[in-house]
Amino acid sequence: MRSTFDEKTEAFRREFVAWLEENAPDEATALSERPRSTAHIPAWAREWQRKLFDAGWLVPGNPPEHGGRNASLLEVFVHQEEIGRHHIYASFNPQGLSIIAPSLLVFGTEEQKRRWAVPILRAEITAALGMSEPDAGSDLAGLRTRAVLDGDRFVVNGQKVWTSGAHDADVILAFVRTDPDAPKHKGLSCLIVPTDSPGLTRRPFGSIVGPDDLDFNEVFFDDVEVPAENLIGELNQGWRVATGSLGHERAMLWLGFAERLDDLIGHGGREIVARGLDDDPLTLDWFGNTVVDANAVRLLGYRTLAKAGRGVEATEQSILKLFGSEASQAGTLHMMETLGVDGLDPDRRSAPLDPLHDEGFTASWWERYVRSFAGTIAGGTSQIQRNIIAERVLGLPR
Amino acid sequence: MDFELDAEQVELQRVVRDIAERECPPALVRSVIDGSDDGLGLWKTFVELDWPSLTVPADDGGMGMTAVELVIVIEELGRVADPTPFLATTSQYLPLVRACAGPEARGELLGALCAGGTGAAAFAAGTVRARRDGVGWVLDGTAAHVVDGDRAASIAVVAATDDGPGVFVLPAQAVAATRTPAFDGSFHLADVALDGVRVDAGRSFVGSEVAAGVAQARDEAVAGLAATMVGASQRVLELVLVHLSERKQFGVPIGSFQAVKHMAVDMYVAIERARALCHFAGLTLAEDDPRRALAASMAKTAAGDCQRLVARHGIQLFGGLGYTWENDLQIFVRRTKVGEPLLGSTSEHRARAARAVLAGHRATEAV
Repeated sequence: MRSTFDEKTEAFRREFVAWLEENAPDEATALSERPRSTAHIPAWAREWQRKLFDAGWLVPGNPPEHGGRNASLLEVFVHQEEIGRHHIYASFNPQGLSIIAPSLLVFGTEEQKRRWAVPILRAEITAALGMSEPDAGSDLAGLRTRAVLDGDRFVVNGQKVWTSGAHDADVILAFVRTDPDAPKHKGLSCLIVPTDSPGLTRRPFGSIVGPDDLDFNEVFFDDVEVPAENLIGELNQGWRVATGSLGHERAMLWLGFAERLDDLIGHGGREIVARGLDDDPLTLDWFGNTVVDANAVRLLGYRTLAKAGRGVEATEQSILKLFGSEASQAGTLHMMETLGVDGLDPDRRSAPLDPLHDEGFTASWWERYVRSFAGTIAGGTSQIQRNIIAERVLGLPR
Repeated sequence: MDFELDAEQVELQRVVRDIAERECPPALVRSVIDGSDDGLGLWKTFVELDWPSLTVPADDGGMGMTAVELVIVIEELGRVADPTPFLATTSQYLPLVRACAGPEARGELLGALCAGGTGAAAFAAGTVRARRDGVGWVLDGTAAHVVDGDRAASIAVVAATDDGPGVFVLPAQAVAATRTPAFDGSFHLADVALDGVRVDAGRSFVGSEVAAGVAQARDEAVAGLAATMVGASQRVLELVLVHLSERKQFGVPIGSFQAVKHMAVDMYVAIERARALCHFAGLTLAEDDPRRALAASMAKTAAGDCQRLVARHGIQLFGGLGYTWENDLQIFVRRTKVGEPLLGSTSEHRARAARAVLAGHRATEAV
């Protein structure tokens, strides 16, 4: 146990930071065009992502031909940590970068990697993830969108929902039912569906942030024909891809919550000082709690990471999403309330704009608060997480 | 940061757990509570294992381990509601002597500790004053709520002097200690009255470095209390989990109900949060990291939150069975609670952690 990583890892960190400071786009460039959804990458950001790819700094754990430099797990981690610390987005199509491309690289054929994964990583195309359906949320294995193999093509019918960025995406990685007679999760397959396919309709809808905050989509499939060669992984083996997709870099998922808590301490703390509330007992109480939470999330995360480095799945991992998301939500709510009516002002920024970052985190405190529900709902609700931890970690009966 | 216990630390944890479970069953703790045992047999066992000298430097005859190992051992002893003076001796008295005593006195005092001597610490600069008297010093005042102040062989008193805090080490006979009622009958708290007590120069430590030594020792003591609370909380959770799997209602184990499961998970999360911060407090002490005071406060805060939730859910999840004296649950509910108000309550440490971070923001603003 020690408070720094080994020297090789720290040297890797220094090398990346030096490159980052040399090469990151300047503020004027980044402000020239803003991303409008999680699958819309402005031209300057496409260039930036390609630069990261070419330099082997986009996904350092990948081989050079896939935007990396065969880095170790700890090196991949410090890279992520510095990306976060610098408030930089490596890609403005985050699900493409961290879920869809990795799934293609694991489960796809060489042709599929060349045709889809590399262009996603190089920001030539963007991708959305088609998992949830109106009746398949937490119960993902219950999804019903049907795909029927007919010669050299699948015919897809059904509906997806919550498909982030679909209206701006070039392709959707869709999970579909290919064997309706098999038990729930055994009849699923995974297809890459180009969004310009005839019969595919996307309808973006507003989030709680506002009617113009368009990222979520309903996606309707009406006899959509998809070439059979777009099947990712084997037929009826889609569940493996799904668990692989969501499980990707699971050992580091907590970092986002740790960063959000650190941002809350930084942005909120400066606001507290500026308002002369740094001696107010009620403020000290919740703020102290957030400080404790932020540190605990990071420490538990570091422990998870150390175990992952040895190939051991840590039990700490299971609580990090639950704990991190709820802590960040509670702290953000307290901060909003500490500011009184100012906390509700939609035009009052909660932090200085970080041009290379998504603006969601520098929005008003109200917006930050409602966005924190993404953490407690998406990727397995807190209630489902508690069930899983109770059964798998604490050994309680089903 | 590499925040995993290394192989030797894991082994230490395992050994201490095995021995503590065997040597300190709830029956022994109950005997101490009802007065039929004084816990000193168990203390002798600990001494034979050299555990009290765990963090005594090797040069002074100890095992020379760090605060990380100490936190690990204290947590395991909290898990069995250890009724001996181990906590006060190793996490309160020892750090004060190690940090503040002059070289010669330090060797003697720590040597006595390695030989099985017990110690207590009174952080009483607010209520005890020391004045020079010839070559020695005279102490006046009362130190309240001193852990093991009524039964330790030596007491290290932090008292105010005209030159900042001083540390004065006294034999038990020199003070008038009265055990104060504590709701945990296996945990000793005492008021220590110092009424014109003389201390030899050789046992009086005053000077510019003492204040820093006292602060560091206090951080270690705070981390020790937190670790005790985490250990006792862990035991409450273990008892609850067995109950939830065995107890059936409506034909099924009550642990299959989601409302029950979710409470158990919240207990588990609270414990993991506090344990991680206890280890971090140990690490900052071991590495003399400037975040030491913040880390100790965070550990005590998290342990305070943890005991609150774990005791509340623990009793509730046992239902009527958690409401009885026979159930061992009460032993550990008491032990996890008793540390909460000592050396700064949960809210005090929470505010201290907040202030430490906000002071950093003020400083950057000033620049």
